[in-house]
Amino acid sequence: MEERRFSISNIVDVVRARRSGLEMALKMGFHQAEANKVAVVISELGRNIEQYAGSGTITVRAHDKYIEIIAEDEGPGIPDVERVLAGGYTTSKGMGLGISGSRRLMDEFEIRSAVGKGTRIRAVKRLW
Amino acid sequence: MDTEFTELTETSTIQKLENLLLVAVPRDLTDSEVLRLRRQVLQEIRRYRSRWVLLDFSRVDICDSFFGRFIQSTARMAGLMGAKVVVSGLQDAVIETMVELGMTLPNIHAVLDLDDALALSRTEPSAEESVYLPGATEAELMDWEDGPEAGPPGAAEA
Repeated sequence: MEERRFSISNIVDVVRARRSGLEMALKMGFHQAEANKVAVVISELGRNIEQYAGSGTITVRAHDKYIEIIAEDEGPGIPDVERVLAGGYTTSKGMGLGISGSRRLMDEFEIRSAVGKGTRIRAVKRLW
Repeated sequence: MDTEFTELTETSTIQKLENLLLVAVPRDLTDSEVLRLRRQVLQEIRRYRSRWVLLDFSRVDICDSFFGRFIQSTARMAGLMGAKVVVSGLQDAVIETMVELGMTLPNIHAVLDLDDALALSRTEPSAEESVYLPGATEAELMDWEDGPEAGPPGAAEA
């Protein structure tokens, strides 16, 4: 299993992590469109870390049959996870699609968040 | 590694082609580079009095929601200068992700490539009637555009 871990504290980190995730997914044999979705999810989750928590990490793991993305931060947490998952919840920068859209792109998507403590999001894309 | 990203804006080319402003959007832009590019586009619209702006995405292989917002905001700003924004060159993989992500760009016209963009700009050299104000309702945007079939960029070509 290959694992890559990225410290996220600015947009250059996000750009680097998503590029690396795209390469990992392609190397695993994902179709270009599926690898692209993995990269976009890394980008959206990375942006959230940078924007709301200031810093955190993204870990990408290549398993035999799936790729796993884990985004962790010790930021303010998400007070209303349901609302975020429903979409349309945004500050001025995005389109309100970050979390809700990412969930649509992946096969599994879990959020654990505690206000004042941080957020951990785990997303999985399966290799068919 | 840093230089690889910070130098990328240098490779973004903006050139005039007939009444079209051709913008080759580089890949892996950071947010500040995206904003700089948008300002450059507005400057060049003014300089060349361009009626049409073509944002060519053929080099872009990752398009997240921030990029979607960039396309939308550029179109609105260019619209206030009397220029119409057209998107071209979206890769199949990018289109699939954009649509599944839920990114809809109702006021954006998309074409397959530069040839189609040139043909479009020749049939309709003036884009004056396309000026609209930020905050226009979706229905108004649909009226302004060609209708719902304009849809998300490139969806028809996917």
